[in-house]
Amino acid sequence: MFVLPAMSQRMRMGFLGLALMAFALPVYGESPKVDFEKQIRPLLAAHCVKCHGSEANSGGLRLDARSLAFQGGDSGKIIEPGKSGESELIRRVASHDEFEMMPPEGERLSPDEIGLLKRWVDEGASWQETEADRAALHDKRLDHWAWQPVAKPEVPRNADSQWGRNPVDAFILSKLNEKGLSPSPEADRRTLIRRLSYDLRGLPPSLEEIEGFVNDADPHAYENLVDRYLDSPRFGERWARHWLDIAHYADTHGFERDMLRPHAWPYRDYVIRSLNEDKPYDQFLKEQIAGDVLWPEQPDAIAATGFLAAGPWDYVGQVETKSDVLRRAAKADALDDLTTQVMTASCGVTVNCARCHDHKIDPISQEEYYSLWAVFAGVRQSSRPLDAVEVQNYQQTQDQLKSRMQEVRSQLHKLLPQTIDLADVVGGGLGDGTGVLGQGIDALSGKTVDAKMGFREGIAINKFQVVSSPFIDGVVVPNFSQEGTPIASNGIRVHDVPQNSGLTWDAIRNGAVKSQFTLKLGGTDFRNPEHSLLMIHANGAITFDLEKLREAIGAQTLTFSTQVGYFGQTAINGATASIYVDGHLKSQQVGIGARDGLIPVEIELPSENQFLTIMATDGGNGISHDQVGFGNPRIANAHEYAPSSEEEMQIQALRNELETLEGQLESLKEPQQIYAIASETPSPIHVLRRGNPEDPTQAVTPGTLSCLGLPDSLGTMDTPEGERRVALAQWITNPDNPLTRRVIVNRLWHYHFGTGIVDTPGDFGLAGGIPTHPKLLDWMAAELLENQWKLKGLHRVIVTSATYRQSSVHRPESDKVDSENRYLSRMNARKLDAESVRDSVLAACGTLDLTMYGPGFRDFDYQEAYAPIYEYTGTDRPESWRRSIYRFIVRTTPHPYMTTLDCPDPANLTPDRNVTTTVLQSLTLLNNDFMLQQSEHLAERIQQASPGAPTDQSVKAFQAVLGRLPTEQERMASTKLIEEHGLTSLCRVLLNTNEFIYID
Amino acid sequence: MSEYQPSQLATAMSRRRFLLESGGGLGAVAFASMLAGDPLHAADNASSGSTKIGHHPATATNVIQIFCPGGLSHVDTWDYRPVLEKRAGKPFDPDGKLTFFASKPGNCQPSFWKFRQHGECGKWMSDLFPHLSQCVDDMAFIHSMQSKSALHGPAMFMMNSGFIRPGFPAMGSWVTYGLGSENENMPAFVVLPDPRGLPPGGVINWGAGFLPAVHQGTVIESARDKPPIADLFPSEGFQLDETAEDDSRAFLQSMNRRHAQHRPGDSMLEARIASYELAAKLQLSAPQVMDLNQESKATHQMYATEHEEIGSFGRQCLLARRMVERGVRFVQVFCGAENTTAEKIRPNWDSHEDLPRDHGYWGAILDRGASALITDLKQRGMLDSTLVICTSEFGRQPAAQGGKGRDHNPGAFTSWMAGGGIQGGVSYGQSDELGFQVLDHPTYCYDLHATALHALGLDHERLTYYQNGIMRRLTDVHGHVLDSLLKKS
Repeated sequence: MFVLPAMSQRMRMGFLGLALMAFALPVYGESPKVDFEKQIRPLLAAHCVKCHGSEANSGGLRLDARSLAFQGGDSGKIIEPGKSGESELIRRVASHDEFEMMPPEGERLSPDEIGLLKRWVDEGASWQETEADRAALHDKRLDHWAWQPVAKPEVPRNADSQWGRNPVDAFILSKLNEKGLSPSPEADRRTLIRRLSYDLRGLPPSLEEIEGFVNDADPHAYENLVDRYLDSPRFGERWARHWLDIAHYADTHGFERDMLRPHAWPYRDYVIRSLNEDKPYDQFLKEQIAGDVLWPEQPDAIAATGFLAAGPWDYVGQVETKSDVLRRAAKADALDDLTTQVMTASCGVTVNCARCHDHKIDPISQEEYYSLWAVFAGVRQSSRPLDAVEVQNYQQTQDQLKSRMQEVRSQLHKLLPQTIDLADVVGGGLGDGTGVLGQGIDALSGKTVDAKMGFREGIAINKFQVVSSPFIDGVVVPNFSQEGTPIASNGIRVHDVPQNSGLTWDAIRNGAVKSQFTLKLGGTDFRNPEHSLLMIHANGAITFDLEKLREAIGAQTLTFSTQVGYFGQTAINGATASIYVDGHLKSQQVGIGARDGLIPVEIELPSENQFLTIMATDGGNGISHDQVGFGNPRIANAHEYAPSSEEEMQIQALRNELETLEGQLESLKEPQQIYAIASETPSPIHVLRRGNPEDPTQAVTPGTLSCLGLPDSLGTMDTPEGERRVALAQWITNPDNPLTRRVIVNRLWHYHFGTGIVDTPGDFGLAGGIPTHPKLLDWMAAELLENQWKLKGLHRVIVTSATYRQSSVHRPESDKVDSENRYLSRMNARKLDAESVRDSVLAACGTLDLTMYGPGFRDFDYQEAYAPIYEYTGTDRPESWRRSIYRFIVRTTPHPYMTTLDCPDPANLTPDRNVTTTVLQSLTLLNNDFMLQQSEHLAERIQQASPGAPTDQSVKAFQAVLGRLPTEQERMASTKLIEEHGLTSLCRVLLNTNEFIYID
Repeated sequence: MSEYQPSQLATAMSRRRFLLESGGGLGAVAFASMLAGDPLHAADNASSGSTKIGHHPATATNVIQIFCPGGLSHVDTWDYRPVLEKRAGKPFDPDGKLTFFASKPGNCQPSFWKFRQHGECGKWMSDLFPHLSQCVDDMAFIHSMQSKSALHGPAMFMMNSGFIRPGFPAMGSWVTYGLGSENENMPAFVVLPDPRGLPPGGVINWGAGFLPAVHQGTVIESARDKPPIADLFPSEGFQLDETAEDDSRAFLQSMNRRHAQHRPGDSMLEARIASYELAAKLQLSAPQVMDLNQESKATHQMYATEHEEIGSFGRQCLLARRMVERGVRFVQVFCGAENTTAEKIRPNWDSHEDLPRDHGYWGAILDRGASALITDLKQRGMLDSTLVICTSEFGRQPAAQGGKGRDHNPGAFTSWMAGGGIQGGVSYGQSDELGFQVLDHPTYCYDLHATALHALGLDHERLTYYQNGIMRRLTDVHGHVLDSLLKKS
């Protein structure tokens, strides 16, 4: 029985369909050969090319060019000349299987057409290449405007127009004319100064500035104001915020263990400084991408590379996990983030869309994307010194001081009653101050260690390790066991070790162990050189050789004295400190906590004793930081010894010198660190199938995008790390790279007007916005190059234009034509961004602290924990009244006040902030502690200036917040509000007005 | 230079941006319908708040998502693996090839609780959940869940936003972006963190990412002595009496109106004036929602609200129900906090050392609160329109870690859903015989998200937002609606 093809449903039996079709086809006689150009190409064009052509190549197949058609698709060839039965093309157009038939939608090929196609294949699939094939091969995406060279267009001449002050206006006016629009009149001076002040400084103009400008008779008053603001240090602070949005800068790592980056801020300062200095933009980019390679001696160029480490970093994935698969995944994400940041910030291309496959829209291949990874393959985020010279000087001075201190200590030691400091012994010394502070002994291996260590893997419990040291017998990680714990080289075992977690962290040290919570306990500050501290990060034990100590001291009966304490943070009392002599427990403090302070212990050691063991155990909790300390652990001659008076004087002199030296050492300024990058040997980079780090395919060399027609290779597999970045920086700042300049001038336009000429400032690709004024964009891009890449000149041209100075009042007739005001027939009114709101509140209330640079202010309480805890509390601390650019930015715990006011999440590059109006914003501005505290400060200030005069007070409040006098009506209403509910109420309300929050 | 034709993408984007930024009057304000953000529905649904506004008819109007951070062990709870029992004590990885997140695998470790069959559907569930096991006929299980990360932070982000990196909008944000709010006097997306602290990854878990800030989850503080929403009222020391607040607001609004009069046609100004009026309404409605005294004694008992250990989660679940009653679109309840300072019991489900201890503790908490929630919703006829989702960021290994613990397992875990058009008593997919990897129908969070959006009347492929060159989706480029879990209409 025959089933009509049209009725077949979900037949997964293509061959049957084909057989039926073959049957249904008319049988051809001796007709002439099929003509490809006349009969087949139109067929393909009508039914296939929409999906298998230059617009889209579904399944990797194209049927609009000869070479590609015969090449086939992802699953192989589709045309077998002479064999229609083996040709996938024929099978698919004839199929009725809903998953296989072609075309899947739209009009199907008629049986005649299928027959024609089949006959053409059987006759040998003759297809002569023509112009049409060659044209089809041309990638139209390469014609996209943004990839084309920048050519400086002529400034348009607009007939009969009086309007306009500079070339910017000529371009704008020409478009307005074209659209049947006209410009708006110039805004009044009050409006202009407020607009300009926020735009260039991010702060409101002061009352004096406003009055001065409004009454300035100089015809160049506005231009002078522009120059003043561009020269103001506030300019760099304001515009650095924009760049840091793009760099997604923050002061913590982000992710689960969101740790502090205490030295990220030099990068922020670098950006502020660079913008204030009007550093050429190409230089600015080069320094940020490869400053450490190009100018290794210049601290500024090192600070700049903070750009490459500004984004989030997953500590757990990169470091903590034991799984290599997870580590590869974390590293891949970090590389993607870095590559995206550099390319999107500088060139406005969405390269990250080519991570799993070729870019769906732009001509960017997956291979190109991974060749960019290869540029950054040797970059690792890392703290590093900012200034190599400073480091050298520091080390030299430090070495000199330390070596003199050593001498003094050694002399002192000879004069002093014989005691041996066991902490110093642990630090590799002889107990006389010759040891190294911070150095220690690994309880696992018995070896000397310097660097701090975290959780220790591969622990062997109760395995005694002999230590090669004059006074130490050995170490062990102890835990309770039936067999006992060996604690000395002669085989002594103890059987009463407290049960514990069986884990250990870090080591036994002279001084602080890893992440030690405190060095102060029970009123004693162990940072003071008078004191010493032997720390054991539980679980661990160390045994000293009393015979050798006796020899050194020259006495038979010794005493051991120390002060035991818990130096960790946990509130739970878990830690236990035990002291054994020859395996006999002599002293034990069970479950000590911070509140126990220091517990003094003194043990007499008669001549028959051989070994002294001190031990710290964690009470069974392997998570807490059980940091047990033995303060001033001294072995001394049990019998008194008195120096002569001459010796006493010598001792005093040496002590004085030691104190001076210590003071010098302490006041020695440590070289400034920056959280930037370390350069490592690049690991090989492969194209990852579907972006999966576990599925690498071919290896790639460093390279970049080819769509600009510039040389796109940036090296070979052997090119050293730094040179790769230098090559990319040069490619980006090459004057022939049209994107870099267009993107930055568009960013300037975007921030000045609220919307860019291209309204997707981070995407200049085919999916991005179309420039409203392409010629103006190119004119500015050309100007930039002529001005040696300096940006302030462009700022000046833009803000002195008549376009910028227009009133922002809506005109219904213009709104009808251009509701989004893309053609700028008026200025755009703007809402203050989060930072400007906060800074303006401080400025209005008279509390703003304009201190520049340095570590960010922390308006939160920080609590160290596995995942650090940040709690915002400190809004009313004067040290947090600095500008918001100096805020210490926490990634996982963003400031709620700022977030509510649309401050973006620093996980993302944000070239274009969201602007919203929400109920929570109103509540925050009304009720947030910061707002109320500041309202009070303003009220106090006014109160002091005008005590008890509500009318005067209302005038002062209006002037402070809105920069103007109240109207008569406002004065009456506000005076009433003061009289009934207090001055603070008025201040609070004024800070909430639209007039304060919006800029005309 | 050629002037390009705007691509569809660019047009859609600029229209969306316009609608969002210029506000369209009240359309973009606060909790009022943000549907205006979706170009698909901008025209016809700008002010409507009902469930008619999705892409297709919805079976659910609201969501309550219970999130168990730390990694809930599927093999000790919902995923019965009898073969694991038979292999007890045998080496899990004889060749020693595997390394988990924090350890090498120990021996096969069967469930610490006995499994039994329950309900009409005969679903196997462990004795850890004596109450929830009575609800199995309303629950649909997905046993073939997988995560792309075995790290808490990224896996949390993935389960909440579909991406392992921070910076993407949470599911709740997408839902309110798509559907808006039902009640302008309440936030549309509410988060109830565990009183013990925030989950791994912190507030980013309910962030709006690149969506407008209005879509971020609003944290509701359930402790009795704290204001439920940050800045809802001035804090102590700043409080004004009611007349002062009223007079201040009246003065403010008169200033704002005069200001707007001189700037006709600027809808941003109108929107902001309206936002202050809505703020006043929220000040009235939020405390009412929080007032659990309005609930009967029986209800309090059902949720065990007064119990010292499990009471706080019971109160969270009860609050979630009260919020849904008042039209909150999406409520996320956390059952566990971050691995913070050391405690004898882990502050979440991350049971590396002692699973019987930690899952024992958290199991009782989840069991009582979640079962009470399902039962309560059902009794009130709300379960039909309320989608309850329970999930974790990943599961735990069938092999032991140390003596009594289990390491992270992103290869297989279980999530469940109930209500809101989801069929009860069914299961989807399965893990292998040990519960180590997914055996059939592997699915990431995408399918769960796609299914949840589908129930809400949203097509996960059409709920999009432009960001840096990409039309972003909750489901990235993945996701299938799990049809077999949907009630047949």
